[in-house]
Amino acid sequence: MNREILVVNSVTVDYPGVRALDAVSLAFRTGEIHAIVGENGAGKSTMMKVLSGVIRPTSGTIMLKGMQRQFTRPSDAIRAGIAMVHQELHLVGTLNVAENVLLGREPTRFLGVAVDHQRQHVVAGALLRQLGSDFDLSTLACDLSIAQQQFVEIAKCLASDARVLIFDEPTAVLGEVEANRLFVVMRRLRDEGRCVIFISHHLDEVVSVADRITVLRDGKLVQAFARNTNGILQSEDGSIADEGRLAHAMVGHELSSIYPEKVYATCTSPAIQLANFGAKNKSHGISFSVAAGEILGIAGLVGSGRTETAEAIVGIRPCEGVLRVEGREIRFSNPRAAMRSGVAYVSEDRKNRGLHVTLSSICNMMLPSLDKVSRLGGIMIDSQTEQRMTKKWIDAFQIRCTRPMQAISSLSGGNQQKFALARWLEARPKVLIIDEPTRGVDVGARGEIYRIIAQLAREGLACIVISSELPEVIGIAHRVIVMREGTIAGEIPSERLALKDCQERIVRIASGLSEESVASK
Amino acid sequence: MNPRILSMLRASQRALEMWGVIVAFVILFAVSTFNQGFDFLNPENFRALLNSNAPVGILAVGMTLVIISAGIDLSVGSMVVLAAAIGMTTMNSLIDSGTSELNAVMLGGAATIFAGTVAGTFNGVLVVFGRIAPFIATLGGLAAFRSMSLAIADAGEIRSQSATMFSALGRGGVPIPGLLNAAGKPLTLSYSTVIFFVVAIIAQWFLSRSRFGRQLVAVGANETAARYAGISVSWVRLRVYSIMGLLAGIAALVQSSRMNSVSTSQLGLGSELDAIAAVVIGGTTLRGGFGRVWGTVVGVLILGMITNILTISGVSPYWQGAVKGAVIVLAVLVQRSSRE
Repeated sequence: MNREILVVNSVTVDYPGVRALDAVSLAFRTGEIHAIVGENGAGKSTMMKVLSGVIRPTSGTIMLKGMQRQFTRPSDAIRAGIAMVHQELHLVGTLNVAENVLLGREPTRFLGVAVDHQRQHVVAGALLRQLGSDFDLSTLACDLSIAQQQFVEIAKCLASDARVLIFDEPTAVLGEVEANRLFVVMRRLRDEGRCVIFISHHLDEVVSVADRITVLRDGKLVQAFARNTNGILQSEDGSIADEGRLAHAMVGHELSSIYPEKVYATCTSPAIQLANFGAKNKSHGISFSVAAGEILGIAGLVGSGRTETAEAIVGIRPCEGVLRVEGREIRFSNPRAAMRSGVAYVSEDRKNRGLHVTLSSICNMMLPSLDKVSRLGGIMIDSQTEQRMTKKWIDAFQIRCTRPMQAISSLSGGNQQKFALARWLEARPKVLIIDEPTRGVDVGARGEIYRIIAQLAREGLACIVISSELPEVIGIAHRVIVMREGTIAGEIPSERLALKDCQERIVRIASGLSEESVASK
Repeated sequence: MNPRILSMLRASQRALEMWGVIVAFVILFAVSTFNQGFDFLNPENFRALLNSNAPVGILAVGMTLVIISAGIDLSVGSMVVLAAAIGMTTMNSLIDSGTSELNAVMLGGAATIFAGTVAGTFNGVLVVFGRIAPFIATLGGLAAFRSMSLAIADAGEIRSQSATMFSALGRGGVPIPGLLNAAGKPLTLSYSTVIFFVVAIIAQWFLSRSRFGRQLVAVGANETAARYAGISVSWVRLRVYSIMGLLAGIAALVQSSRMNSVSTSQLGLGSELDAIAAVVIGGTTLRGGFGRVWGTVVGVLILGMITNILTISGVSPYWQGAVKGAVIVLAVLVQRSSRE
């Protein structure tokens, strides 16, 4: 009864320096909820981008209802009946619910000139009722709660008569009650014979909702589970899917040798100390301290409040609680003040926040330390000094660029990241917070960045490394704290980082499973 | 298409974006020379061309900086008239109260520049602390500053009480050695032109060599990234609007001394558009983060030459706006197509 509707045939996607998907073959069936799980960077979102026409695969084919299709842009996929419910919602806030549901396909009167408001209401109302939700159709989208907005988004997909619906981490923004309502809707869509693709980090949800689970790791398909006639999720070799097994499959076990040897700090006085600290409305009750020469890793799911906490430390966001730098209680009103006291933050979002992509490398390099190269009472920039300084870092970090005036956007991710790091080191900080140090960085440059971080710590810098990539946090940090829902959910001390089950343990803490179940196994 | 041809096309497009304004200038110059011959090449014509465009040029220099910061200032024309009205009223009342003419002229001039700076800073405060979009904040200024100056003079003209001294700045100039005018007297480069060029050179220097210039570009290119880099975005913004006001004050001084009077309903009317046009033609991008003062200077000259040609060839002034408009749109088109 369940036909294969969408078949992916050995699809490979290459990004510069990274193979995001490696010959993955998958079949999605009608009347099924198909979950895809994997760590960050495992290739889930790349797969979804291929399916929804955002990117074209380097090689491999996609078959829809038995016909080979090639989507060149998202509208192709939508027209073919594949709709994506994005994590970020795209409603027009100034239009009401009915108008949003039928945006772009309004029923019309008078030869297509006037919108038929009455029919618009009727049609939109019918679609929303199909989802089991009943809110006022004339409410403006900006007055809806996030969960309600999501329902409107789903109704939009139904309006385009999508046969394949992709939910990209839909529960990340929902509370438990709302999430359960969403699962009811997903099941209803499945029972209507649609194909529902579900991406989530919450393994408990996946196990309870999905009819089929595919696990990706490093761009490869590593394991597949399907619900058998007894309703048990089982893989071909007979192993039964539970959260632990999924976590195990996601993580794999090889810790590669690109991580430098850990040299533990001898100093114990904290360079930075947080007590009951938090970013307003984003995180709370966070207490930890980092000594000079120590590398603290912060793990956790996207949205667990890691970045927000870091931004609150350097004064980008309002904060609460106590922050001490070298024993002195302090609060920063902006990154500039933080920098003066020796705290630097390297943003995760290199393209929009960390660097000025339209400007040259030298401009980017010198922005935080323009004071240092200014002459004539801080008016004029001494271009020789700034070139010398930039050259110094290019040599020290072996940055590959043809000339410092080159636009930074023309460099590879790794070289950009080295500049993003170097610019703060020129200001000689005592505490360095690095958010996602190797996002969008190819494998070769990763190792170099790890070595740089380890070297900085050896020289006495207190480092905080925030990362969604578990091997990275485990490989580089001396100690790891795991955040969940805005606060610290657990800590892994240095002696346990080397243990085999450490990665699994972090996944469990981050996704809200109890730590004891690891120990009891 | 052949990738080599494609890359050549792309390179030439980039070159056009970079040097297009120079190309346009040269073409326009050649056309004018071909059309009008000596009438155009006459040094006296150039003197007049530069002289009449200097005030807008001074405004355009400031506008370049504002636009690089990803802002806009629509109130410059009204700032000019307000600054000029305040300055001249101050000077006249000082002369009336028996102050020596020299002192009155100096104080009046200072009042003009000061009033401009205050008005500009006010715009900056609205944008930075009031968090009002620059377009809206300065649209308010466009209406309010003009209206204030109309109120000062009952919508009429303020005539200077200084017989010759005040107008010396606007009418005098530096003699250019070796060049004589039709009457056989040495040709002068007017003070207003000199001020325009000096202002432009200083601004270009600040833009490319100073810390402030670097911060300005960073704020305009990406405000968030600039804040993350530890730049005080508010302070940079505030300063650029103050500088715009200062330059509007200087332009007001140049204008009012040339006329030796201030017509509160006419002075500076529409200059904001001319200034923005010159900036855009000069290759500064309206979305901010990239720009150059020298381009703006050439842009001012292009706009001036277009008027000049059309006037000499006897085209009705009513049509001149249409031609200018076409040139502005063309300039933006060239910029945009090469950025895709």
